[in-house]
Order: sequence, then C-alpha cells, then structure tokens
Amino acid sequence: MSAIKKFADKIMLLDLFAGLGITFKNMFKKKVTVQYPEERWEPAHRFRGMFRLDEDRCIKCTICARDCPIDIIYIDWHQEVNPETSKKEKLLDRFDIDVQRCMFCGLCEEGCPTEPKSIWLTTKTYELASYDRWDNLYVDMDELQEWKTRPAYTDEEIA
Amino acid sequence: MAGLLESVRHTLGDTLFYWAFSPAIKIVLLLFVGLLPLISYLTFAERKVLGYMQARLGPNRVGPWGLLQPIADVMKLLVKEDTLPIQAVKWAFILAPGLVVGPALIIFSVIPIGPREGELGHVNWFITDVNTGLLFIVALATIGVYGLIIGGWASNNKFSLMGGLRSAAQMISYEVPQGLALVGPLMLAGTLSLVGIVEAQRDQHVWYILPQIVAFFIYLVAGVAESNRNPFDLPEAESELVAGFHTEYSGMRFALFFLGEYANMIVVSAVATTLFLGGWLPPFPHLLPGLAVIPGPIWFALKAFVFLFAYIWFRGTFPRYRFDQLMDLGWKWMIPLALLNIFFTGLIKLWVSGGFH
Amino acid sequence: MTSPFVQPFGDEGLGDNLLNRSEEMELNFGPQHPSTHGVLRLKLKVDGERIIDCYPIIGYLHRGTEKLFELHPYFQNVPHTDRMDYVAAATNNLAYVGAVEKLMGLVVPPRASYIRVLLCELQRISSHLLWLATHAIDIGAMTPFFYTFRERELILDLFEEYCGARLTLNCMRPGGMPHDLPVGWIEKCRVFVDGFLPRIDEYEGLLTENRIWKKRTVGVGVLDPQVAIDYGITGPMLRGSGIDWDMRKTMPYEVYREVQFDVPLGKNGDTYDRYLVRMEEMRQSNRILRQCLDQIPEGPIMAKRPRVMKAVKDGEVYHGIEGPKGEIGFYIVGDGTPNPYRCHVRAPSFINLQSVPELCKGALIADLVAIIGTTDIVLGEVDR
Repeated sequence: MSAIKKFADKIMLLDLFAGLGITFKNMFKKKVTVQYPEERWEPAHRFRGMFRLDEDRCIKCTICARDCPIDIIYIDWHQEVNPETSKKEKLLDRFDIDVQRCMFCGLCEEGCPTEPKSIWLTTKTYELASYDRWDNLYVDMDELQEWKTRPAYTDEEIA
Repeated sequence: MAGLLESVRHTLGDTLFYWAFSPAIKIVLLLFVGLLPLISYLTFAERKVLGYMQARLGPNRVGPWGLLQPIADVMKLLVKEDTLPIQAVKWAFILAPGLVVGPALIIFSVIPIGPREGELGHVNWFITDVNTGLLFIVALATIGVYGLIIGGWASNNKFSLMGGLRSAAQMISYEVPQGLALVGPLMLAGTLSLVGIVEAQRDQHVWYILPQIVAFFIYLVAGVAESNRNPFDLPEAESELVAGFHTEYSGMRFALFFLGEYANMIVVSAVATTLFLGGWLPPFPHLLPGLAVIPGPIWFALKAFVFLFAYIWFRGTFPRYRFDQLMDLGWKWMIPLALLNIFFTGLIKLWVSGGFH
Repeated sequence: MTSPFVQPFGDEGLGDNLLNRSEEMELNFGPQHPSTHGVLRLKLKVDGERIIDCYPIIGYLHRGTEKLFELHPYFQNVPHTDRMDYVAAATNNLAYVGAVEKLMGLVVPPRASYIRVLLCELQRISSHLLWLATHAIDIGAMTPFFYTFRERELILDLFEEYCGARLTLNCMRPGGMPHDLPVGWIEKCRVFVDGFLPRIDEYEGLLTENRIWKKRTVGVGVLDPQVAIDYGITGPMLRGSGIDWDMRKTMPYEVYREVQFDVPLGKNGDTYDRYLVRMEEMRQSNRILRQCLDQIPEGPIMAKRPRVMKAVKDGEVYHGIEGPKGEIGFYIVGDGTPNPYRCHVRAPSFINLQSVPELCKGALIADLVAIIGTTDIVLGEVDR
C-alpha cells in the first residue's frame, strides 16, 4: 500500500504541491517589515548603544580605561585643591573615546564602581552615521555629556 | 461593448474607422500600450508577489504602493553607461539583445485576445490570423536562441560563452517537448490557426486542458525551462560560477535581455491560455450564461495572469535543478511522455470517430 | 552525480591523441563570491564541469585573535571570542569561559549554569537557522531564507533583552554571568519555544520531501566515517556519517547531565543526511530549552572569585564544548600573571574545511556550492 502511495506521490507531484501551498499560505500572513524611518524599532532596556559620560559622578578611578579590551579610552586627570571646600579633589582633563574602534562591549560600564554608573551604554542610541568621518573620530568629554540620548538606567530599574 | 464600437464607427466614418483599426495601428497599440508596459509592470508584480510570499513587502517607496518602481528602473537603466568590451565583436554585441526581444514580441501578432470581427464589435481582436499560426510560434521561439548564443560569444569572455552555450543547450532541448506537447491540442482541434483552435474549443464545448492534461503539464514545464526561469535557471543564477551570457551587458542592452525574458514568459502564458484554457471563452457558457457579459479580452487577460502568477510562484518555492539533471528531465522524461500523449490522443480520436473497423 | 552527459576525459589509456585530450582549467572560486560564506578562496582544477582538485586558501579574515588574547586579562578577552564564529557567539563565550574556570578552579553556581545552557541552545537554533537560510539560497530556494530570518529575529530579540547585544553577545564571565535574567524573559522565551516547532515543519515542508532538493543533495558530498574520524571532523558533519559523538552526551559540561535529549544520526553521510541531522538538532534544542525553562533554580549567578585573576604558573588546560558547527575548544596556558601566556583555539570550521577538497573530487561545480554549504563554515572561525 505504501509503495502505491509512493508511486502516486511521485506521479502526482504531491511534494511539489505541498511546497507551493506553504508559500501561498504565507502570502496572506502578516508581514514583519518595519517601515524605517517612519517606524523605529525600540531597543530593549539593556541594549548596548552609544556610551555617555557623566563627569560629576565620575571618580576618575580609570578602571574603565584599564578594562577596555581594545584600549580606546584615554583619561587624564590631576589633583587640585578646591578653593571652596579646601579639600584635594581630582579634576578631569581629558576623557576621549575613539569611536572608530569601539565595539560597544560594555566592559567599561561593568567596571565603573559608582552608583549609578558614570559611563553607561544603555542609551538606546544606534544611529551613529554621519556625513563626515572626522565627526566620529574622537568623542571628547564635552560631547559625551551633551550627547542627546536617554538618561542612564540603574540596575534596579533594569532588572 | 459592441454598441460602443458602433457609435465610434458612426462618428469617425467608415474609412477612418477601418484605417484606425488596421493591423498597423493594432501593432503600435499592442506594443506601446499593451506589451511594453505589461512587461515592465510584470517585473514589478514579480518583486511584489515574491516579497509577499517571503513574509516581506516588495518595493513600496516609489509612488503609492511602489507603483512607479518600473519607471524608476527604466530611467536608471537608460542613463547607465553603455559599455562595449574592447575585444568584443561589435555588430554581434549590438545585435544580440534584439534577437532575444524581437521574436518574443513578433509572436504576439498571431495570438488572438478576442474573437473575429462580428462577434465582439467590428474588429478582429488579433493582428493577423495566419493559418499556420502554431508553426509560426514554434519557429519564432527557436530564433530566440540565436540571441543567447550570439550574445554569449560576442562578449569575448569565456564564462559568458560557457553560460550562453549552456543556456542555449537548455533552451533547445526543451523546444522538442514543447513542440510535441502542442501537437496534442492540435490533433483535437484539427487546425494550426490559433483562432481556429479557440473556436474549436468553443464548438466542442471543452477546454483542451481536460482531455490533454499531460500535454498541459509538459507544456508548462517546458515553457518555464524555455524562459530560463526557476527551477531551471542555472545558466543565469547568481550563486553559480558564471553569471550567464549577459555579464558584459549594461544599461539598456541588459534591460532588453531582461525584457526579453519576461516577454518570453508572457508568450508562453498567452499560448498556453489559447491552446489549453480556451483563449477568450468564458468558463461554463451553458451553466452560467451571465458570465458572457464580461468581454473576451478580459477573460484572456485573467487566464494569462494565472499563468504569470504560477511563474512567480515557482520562483519563490523551488530550488534549482543542476544542469545535467535538467537535461535528463527534458530528454528522458518529457519527450517520451509527450510522444505517448500524442499516441493516446490519436488512438482515442480514432476510436471516438469510429475508425477502428 | 555520475551523469552520462559529463564524461571525464583525462588520460585513461587514450594516449596523447590531440582529439582525445582535454585541457584542465584552473579556476579561482575567489574570495569575493556569493556562495563561499565569507572570504574563502578555492583554487579549482576543472575539467569542463567536473572538479579534479581543489585547494583552499584561507587567511583573508585573519585578525590576530590569538595574539590579542595574550595582551589582556582573562575576563577582558570574552568580547574577542564573540567575533570568531560570529554567527554563534554564545558557544564561543562558553568554551572560553569554561576553560578559564577549569584553569582557576572556579565552580559555577547552578542558576548561572542553567542560564548559560539556555543561551547556548538558543544560539544553536539561531546558527542552524542561518545555515539553513544560506544553504537553501545557494541551491536556489529563496524563501526559506526569509522564513528562517523571521524566527532568528525573535531569538536575537531574546538575546538583546538579556545582555544588550544581538550578535556579539559578550554574555558570560569567568565564574558565572554578569547579569541576571530580566523580568519577563522566561515568559518570552517560553512563548518562542512553544511557537517554534510548527515553523520547523514549515521549512521541512518546503524542502525535505521536495524532489528537486533531494536530487541536489542526495549522494552529494558523501563523507566516509573513517575519513571523517581521521580528519578530526566533529559536529553534524560527523553525525551525518553515522558516528555517535556529541560532546554534550559523551563529555557533559554545565547542566547537560540533567536534561534529556536525543542525538540525531545520519546514515549515508551525504548532504541530505546532514540536512536532516541539523533539522532534528533544532527540534532537540527546543526540547532542551523547554526543560531548562522548567527546571531553572533560584540562586546567585556569580561564583566567588579573586579580585585579580591570576593563573597558576605553567598551568595549562583544554576545554571543548559542542558548538553548532562542531567541537570548539580552548587551550590556555597560564604563567602566573593576569594575562594568559598562550591561548589557542580549536576552531571546528577550520578542521571541517579540510574535508572540502576530499568531498568535491569528481563533483560538478554546482555540487561544490552545496558542499560548502553543508560544511557550514564561518570564516571568522577559520581565520581567527
């Protein structure tokens, strides 16, 4: 019986018709296209996008520079006596990140000891294209702070 | 419909009317109003339908629902640089696309999209009714192969030559089953003229797909192979080694090759409609006489669109045959089946007409 | 494959008669080609359509990963491992992290282990979906590509919710996991797992019984089991030839001892069998996912580990796991400093690529595309 069925299958091209049926059914299903730029896909909370720095929270421990797997964070700081509080404190001279090389791995964010973090990648920004290559070469301290992105999420808010 | 044409004749006067609908004007109308826009919109329809089958939308940015996309494509191809390889044979390089598109368009002069004069207005709904119409079609389809070989050779590129030869070999080997499959309905109709075949289907009250279903399948498969479409598109597949005979062509010349392929598709669909699905006849003329209100050409178009949809459907579903398996299929399966079909059709015809004693 | 239309000529006793001699052409299946899945270059000696010899040339994607490993401490190297087999990042991470833990003697808490297995099995499904997409489109069927990528999007969304990235995950650390599962992740994963089996049936309906697919893949690229063992081939290529070797069963790691699953085997060792093996593996991965989602315990996700991880001087370890393409292994030598002294990767694609010249002797060029597809190589791994 199964031999006859196999023979009929071969003659009647049933396997081909099954394939045709599947594609035909899929014609009427809902399409998954996202019409960018009218509709934008919203990344998840933990999405590792463009990083952002908050200089006030930063304690200049340089753990992020040490943790970076490709060594693209350049930090310079010096100690100064604050005239108002008469205490020695660290001031940030230079905090540059080479955006050409950054792979957005998040190890700098993980190493940062402040709470909430002073450098974070959960900014949901992934549209980093620009017309001029030199715009994105180095992103320095001031730009990092004024980057128009979402504010940081702390761990409690995420989890 | 007939009333409308009557009133047009009344307004224009007799000579002007017959001149307006002379074959020359019909050719111009057919080409510029009918075929060329149809071919360009067929490319658009393919992208859309293929996209819908693949869970995505096709082009939808240019114009509403992407309807101006073919126009954008034509504009782009027109302004592209017209390359000519240095060592190529110039006259052959220029001639090849014409040899592919030309026959495909010429075949339309014998395909009837409606009945003779008198049944649907005072016009013949075909350009000419050659009484060996079917032979004419098969012959012209064979000339199309020349374009491929010459195009592949003229490019002075060994991969183009190989691709062109493979494509030509494939097309020639599927010409034979195609021709043999067409003999089946021919025997039932008794005439080579295409208008005569449709009229025979009307007089015998059966569309030839029913008695000739085997011939129908063979013709359809051979037609897909003739136009180098999936699943028989190995010679022009991008993921294979050679990009086919049209590697060296760019701009409008490439567009002509491309249009030639789609024109071939439409030709096969039109011939299949005429021979197997009854041309311009409405279905079930006795059960549903109300359907005759829709004029013949619309029925013809609907049936041809069914075949064109089937072409796109096959492209979206099936993998590709390897070249030797393709030739196997053509020579070892299609031809014997077609010959058997002719034999049995003859037997049955003889038996029905009582010629056995 | 042995079609009467393509007769091999060559010098089989026909003498040096000019009419009977055919030239061999040397063809470059170049680094830029749509079907080589990356920058693989194959130098082919072709006689007409038949391949006589094949010589792969690799190195076009070499980035010095193994040297980069030596320059940074152990936990900083995890992003570099993502980028080797960029299609299956989680299994790369797991192999590296497992090796480091073996070297340091860290014990991973059970919850972290379950999360790792969840991610790895999701990654296995995702890698096989990509394999199916590219294999099918090379052979000519365009639609499975789009259907599989629709499912792959769901998996990548799950990854994104967990660790923030879709492709280069960086989701494991030596000792455990960096983040815990976010709220709602397990429900979303369950939704995916429940809806996935009908999709596999859809892909199978398009391809498995299709006579054109069978004609293209049955009998193509037959790998003899003994040859496979001699070359050191692992993964679905080995199991397609009938040898029952799956590291998750034979040398279990993480929590694979506590889940039930079957290992599919092929019979003939041809492309069709490997296709069936990989499809069945996707179903089994689905089964493992379901069990892990049910069995996952509460608890900590990171082991107690020293602040600065230094390895024992001259400690060396090899740890291999079953990745989607085969056995991926890390051989790490420590020298008492926070950086590894040497870190060598046993990349499965590199070893499986050895079989391609063997498999394509005597095949047509159209079959070569199918063979490269079934070997499932990712050039990031081959070249590192």
